[in-house]
Amino acid sequence: MHSILPAVAEQLFRDVEKIYRETSQIPDDLLIALKFVFGPCALQALDLVDQQSVNCLTSPSGRSVFQVTGASGRLYTCFVSCHYCPCPAFTYTVLHRNIGLLCKHLLAIYLCGAMAVTQQESVSDQQMTVILSGAHAS
Amino acid sequence: MADALSRVFRTFSSQDQVRKELPGTPSIYSTLLVGEQNISRSLLLLTAVTAASQLGGKAVFFTQTHIQHLPPFVQKCAPFVNPESLKKIKFCYPRTLEELLQQVAGLHESNSTSTPPSLIIVDRLEAYLCGPGGSGQVGFHPEQLSRAAHLSALLCDTAVFLKQGSNSSAPCQLIASYISEEDTRNAGGQMHGNDSVLDVLDRFFQCRCTLTRDESNEVEAAALQEVWHIYISGTTAFNAGDCEDRNRVDQEWQLLIFCDGLMEFKMV
Repeated sequence: MHSILPAVAEQLFRDVEKIYRETSQIPDDLLIALKFVFGPCALQALDLVDQQSVNCLTSPSGRSVFQVTGASGRLYTCFVSCHYCPCPAFTYTVLHRNIGLLCKHLLAIYLCGAMAVTQQESVSDQQMTVILSGAHAS
Repeated sequence: MADALSRVFRTFSSQDQVRKELPGTPSIYSTLLVGEQNISRSLLLLTAVTAASQLGGKAVFFTQTHIQHLPPFVQKCAPFVNPESLKKIKFCYPRTLEELLQQVAGLHESNSTSTPPSLIIVDRLEAYLCGPGGSGQVGFHPEQLSRAAHLSALLCDTAVFLKQGSNSSAPCQLIASYISEEDTRNAGGQMHGNDSVLDVLDRFFQCRCTLTRDESNEVEAAALQEVWHIYISGTTAFNAGDCEDRNRVDQEWQLLIFCDGLMEFKMV
C-alpha cells in the first residue's frame, strides 16, 4: 500500500518483513512494538493474518483491491493506494476521533504484505467495478 | 507545484515570467477546490478545456447538473476551444452517490480498450455526499463520514491507477469541488456546525485550493466585475515513506474577472 504512514510504522513493517523472512515468526519484541504503535487492534489484526483473511483481488485491467474477511464473516473492501475501510472502527477511531492510524483490517493488510501471506485471487473487470463501488456490500 | 490547476493559472496569467515558467512533472495529483459554486464550476471547466487543448489527454467530468454551454469567461479566455478539444472531455451526469461510485469504479474497464483519462473532475462533491440538506450536520454521523471517505478513496485510488499517459509514472490528475459549510452559510443557507465531511476529504486530497471573493470597494474602483483570492495549500509528497520528505505547498493567486468577461490570474 502506498499511503503515507509515520516513519516508525514503516520501519516496523520493514522489521517484520525481514524477521519473518528469516525465521517465519514474529518475535515478542516486535509484537510489543506493534501493540505500542497501533494499540489494541494489533492483536486483532494478527488474528486476521493467522486466519488468512486478507485477499488481494486483481482483474484483467490490472486494477487491484484488498478484501479482508472480518471475524463475523463480513467482507471489508480496502484500496491499494490509500487508507480506507468501511468498518465502524475506522470511521469512528480514524476519521472522527483521529486517535488511531489504522483499523485492524488495514493493519492486517500491511502485516500480510510484510509477511508475504496475502491470498491472491482473480476477478473479472465487471466484478472489480462492483467491488470497488461497494455495490456488493449494500 | 505543477498540476492541472496551476497550468490554468500560468496559461492565463498577465505576468510574463509566470506564464513562461514551464510546468514540471506534476507533483500534486489530487486537489480539492473549496469555494462558491459558480466560480468553482467555471474553474473546473476551464481546467478541463485547458488540459484537453494543451496536453491532448482525455478528461472525464462528473457533475449532477447538465452543462448546456461554457461559462462566458471560459468562452472568451479560451480561444483554442474547438470541437476537437471538447471531444476529449467526456461529461458524465451521475444523479446519485451510488451512480457516481459505479461510474468512477468502472473507469478501469476502459483501460484495455481505449486511452484512459488523464484528468478526472468531480463537480460539487457535497451534492453527492450530503444531498440538498447542506454540507454538514451537527454531531457524529458515521454513515456520512464513511461515504465521504469511500468516495474520496475511490477517486484517489482510481487516479493512481490511471497513469498520465502510457509512458508516465505520474498519476492521473484529480480535481474535485466542494462547497464548504462557510460558503453555504455565506450564501444564506443554514449553518450546521463544524464541517466534518471537509475534514475527511482533506485526509485524501493532497492539496486544497480555496476560493474567496473579494468584497472590498477596490474591486469596483478598478472597474473589475469580480476578484477572487485563491489560496493553495498542501503537500507534494506521493509514495513518501517518511513524513519529513513531504514538501509544503503554499501559494496565493488572484483571479480578476473584467466587466467585458475576460479574466486573468496573478500570482501574489
